[in-house]
Amino acid sequence: MTVLGSRPAATAAHPAAPGDRAVRAVRAVPRARRARRRVRRVPLNLAALAVLAVSVFPVYWMAVTAFTPTRDIQSTTPSFWPAHPTLAHFATAVGADGFGLFWRNSLLVTLSAVLLSLVVALPAACAVARMRWRGRRGFVLMVFIAQMAPWEALLISMFIIARDTGLLDKLAMLTLIYFMTTLPFTIVTLRGFLAAIPGELEEAAMMDGASRAGAFRRVVLPLLAPGLMSTSLFGFITAWNEFAFANALIIKNQDDRTLPVWLSSFGNIFGTDWGATMAAASLFMLPVLLIFLVLQRRVVSGAFAGAVKG
Amino acid sequence: MSLTSVTQPVPAAARRLARAWPYILVAPAVAGTCFLLLYPLLRSVVISFQHFRTGELIRGGAAFVGLENYRQVLGDAEFWTVVRRTFVWTAVNVALIMLISTLVALMIARLGPRMRLAVMSGLVLTWATPVLAATTIFQWMFQSRLGVVNWLLVRVGLDGFQGHTWFADGTSTFAILVMLVVWQSVPFAAITLYAGLTTIPAELDEAARIDGAGPFQVFRDVTFPILRPLFGLITSLEVIWVFKCFAQIWAISGGGPDGATTTLPIYAFQIAQSLHKYDLGSAISTLTVLILIVALIAHMRRMLRHEGEVA
Amino acid sequence: MRYRLLAATGVLALAAGLTACGSSSPSTGSSGGADPGTAGSGTAPAKLTVWVMRDSFSDALLDRFAAGYRKDHPGVTLDIQIQEWDGIGQKVTSGLASNDAPDVIEVGNTQVAEYAASGGVRDLTDKIADLGGADWLPGLAEPGKIDGHQYGIPWYAANRVVIYNKDLFAKAGIAAPPRTRDEWITATGRLDKGGDQGIYLAGQNWYTLAGFIWDEGGDLAVKEGDTWKGALDTPQALAGMDFYKKLQALGDGPKDSDEANPPQIDVFAKGDVAQLIATPGAAVAIEKANPKLAGRLGFFPIPGKTADRPGAVFTGGSDLIIPEASRNPEAAYEVVKALAGEKFQLDMAKEMSYVPNRVSLGSALSGSEGTAAMAAGAANGHATPNSPNWAAVEAKNVIKEFMTKALTSGDPAAEARAASQTIATILNTKS
Repeated sequence: MTVLGSRPAATAAHPAAPGDRAVRAVRAVPRARRARRRVRRVPLNLAALAVLAVSVFPVYWMAVTAFTPTRDIQSTTPSFWPAHPTLAHFATAVGADGFGLFWRNSLLVTLSAVLLSLVVALPAACAVARMRWRGRRGFVLMVFIAQMAPWEALLISMFIIARDTGLLDKLAMLTLIYFMTTLPFTIVTLRGFLAAIPGELEEAAMMDGASRAGAFRRVVLPLLAPGLMSTSLFGFITAWNEFAFANALIIKNQDDRTLPVWLSSFGNIFGTDWGATMAAASLFMLPVLLIFLVLQRRVVSGAFAGAVKG
Repeated sequence: MSLTSVTQPVPAAARRLARAWPYILVAPAVAGTCFLLLYPLLRSVVISFQHFRTGELIRGGAAFVGLENYRQVLGDAEFWTVVRRTFVWTAVNVALIMLISTLVALMIARLGPRMRLAVMSGLVLTWATPVLAATTIFQWMFQSRLGVVNWLLVRVGLDGFQGHTWFADGTSTFAILVMLVVWQSVPFAAITLYAGLTTIPAELDEAARIDGAGPFQVFRDVTFPILRPLFGLITSLEVIWVFKCFAQIWAISGGGPDGATTTLPIYAFQIAQSLHKYDLGSAISTLTVLILIVALIAHMRRMLRHEGEVA
Repeated sequence: MRYRLLAATGVLALAAGLTACGSSSPSTGSSGGADPGTAGSGTAPAKLTVWVMRDSFSDALLDRFAAGYRKDHPGVTLDIQIQEWDGIGQKVTSGLASNDAPDVIEVGNTQVAEYAASGGVRDLTDKIADLGGADWLPGLAEPGKIDGHQYGIPWYAANRVVIYNKDLFAKAGIAAPPRTRDEWITATGRLDKGGDQGIYLAGQNWYTLAGFIWDEGGDLAVKEGDTWKGALDTPQALAGMDFYKKLQALGDGPKDSDEANPPQIDVFAKGDVAQLIATPGAAVAIEKANPKLAGRLGFFPIPGKTADRPGAVFTGGSDLIIPEASRNPEAAYEVVKALAGEKFQLDMAKEMSYVPNRVSLGSALSGSEGTAAMAAGAANGHATPNSPNWAAVEAKNVIKEFMTKALTSGDPAAEARAASQTIATILNTKS
């Protein structure tokens, strides 16, 4: 968005801006008003707690169930804290047929797709954000329309294409499809980040004798790091989740199935064993959570700031 | 812009290369889109003009039937029911998502730093929950015999919910799916809106307040007009995502019970994959894309105008 | 054609790039390459893929077969893959349409026609004599034969019985299994005490409902002249549904899902369920899931309205097909021959209590309690409406959703009218 894009990168630089404002305001008022203000904030904080509870509870419930022994899960009164925590459900989930294999397949496909998507999207984003050329608007329109692609509807034509190119039953085909599902969003977001980095920085570096590529690598790339990370995070989540194509295109090579396909037959594998089911769901969620923890706040603020400017 | 500013008097060949650069840079993306999106899309459109069932899929040699499939789809009352339902589904979800995330964003902006961090972390946790995991969790929470929701409702005195089967009834399944989708979508919208809020200069706010404006008026007269483009972007993204939503619905209800949660993507999938009428399924998908494009055409035009300004 | 080639090169180029990223290597040259071990070179080493449905057979039985086959056919590896019922139509269709299909597929006897009509199934008419086809069970051979061509090779048949937990019956003081519906309801009510369930009957077990409806003299759909009519709203069908509702209430079966979700075998194996409606082979899986139940399971035919006639049942069973796209049709036929042959059939009849594919092998059934119950029920066997569109009725879950609504809402008759309407629409569609 132009309006916001032209503003300095306020979000990333001062994530606590409104807080500062609050502090300033508090200092300026006498103590009695401050107390009144605190009272006024009680409903606000209660609302915040409610939002927190609603957003966290389902995930919390999954974790609690995963650690609770089956006997307690089956009891009529649910326990909100695992009184006798157990790892048995995780053992069941990990020990299930092929879990490790499918986990590895998923990770391989997802990481390859995200990497490929970044490698292809970055130059394209540069061209859109930094250069003027005929066909640029058309390209942007194409990227936007690509975001609307009804992927499930392409199952049958993808099947035919995979068959005719000998890529049926191959993880490579899945990788290509996941690459394509994440590409449009990656281009749009990276472009937003690039637009926020002043072109003068590059020019200054080039004045100092750096080549164009050198300037990009030494000046732009470091500034772009959060953007790269947050877009790859989004790509990771999308590809990690995908089920329909994984289910339709892996037919005979059952060892090439991915985790979501395996997860979808939860009921068939664990039956009424909700403990194991929740343990498997936790393990499915784990990589995404780990990446979030590693990349942490930088990425999160970056991700949404990127979207603001996108 | 930087391209032109560094250009010195250079040989013609180098200049031609410089002019070719943007095309070289977008070439891989364009190639990928052509082969992996445009081509499958075209094939799908072609199928929608053919008689294409299991036999044609296996033996090949599909015959063209003109607009016959479209005539059949558009002439089916069920299709129009599904279209209506998809609009209701999208409207309800997007309205709830926008309303709740605006409130949450405004709330976050007014919180103390510690509380803000806690709420943001909670939202991020929700956002990070993979769709399939979330779907499984919701099934577990609403399970009839051991589900925590029924237990809670009985606890607060609603004994009728003892062993209540949520997924047997169309309306309640629809409502649970709305809850699931809203729950998953609010974090992205709320945090993005909050990031937008932080770019509004505090002075504008205060000035309006000094003029005697209430919180609602401040929002209507100051905040919203400034963030209008951002609201536009988020709304259109959510419209796309909710309209196309497939995995959640398919995993929880498969479009049932009795079609109460069958939206266009589910309908197309059922026709194509369960009934093996690939031709009709492709026709429905083509129509789905057309409907979506028409619905978002205003937004796309605005976006392209901006592109013009930037260039 | 040129477009296809263009796309192929494009996709392959991208795939080649991928290989560099450390993804699994796509075998770029395989699309037109030589097929290893095809017709003529039957002795060449080959890996054959066989698709068997979940819970059709015990692992032990399949392992035994695979081991024996390897000994008799050195160089041939059997990859027996278990398929889920969920979404099987899509899966088999994809398999038939691929270039490298599974070599042998288990297909429900009523589904052979649909697959064969698509042209993806190998015609095995010339092998009938070799397989002893004169002696085949008609219930399996007929559905496998379309326009005089034999596509499906009969494999096994089975119908549902009641499996019960002898300990829980003894605890409730029930000496003999019930023989009429009234006795059945009374006994089940007595068993449904404390933490125990009288019967585990999922709300959407529609084959069982069909049996109750046939008992009343009704049907799922009837053909009048050239048009089909849904028959769930007839008084007979409603009476059947009413009985189902009464029975279903005597346990904790979920009203909104079928017997596969959660797998009813696992539920029963927990040991607190007195009865289960399943094929006798399910007992093997139950004992495997909970060895403590070994020897504690009994069988009786689904009770009918009177003691002299057991309840009606759906005659189920499976055929074997070889896809046209199998790369090893000759070797695949050898596998089919072994699976349909006497040795496996007898082993299977003993272990799984299934009815063998040949009438003359029927004597193998005598002696076991499960098969005796099944044979008694089989005397009153029925089939689903004979229309190529019936598969669509199943795929759209019309009956299952009707059942859930009839079990949870107050007006089954209105729901039945709506469902019958839907069935009629589907069956009367020209495909």
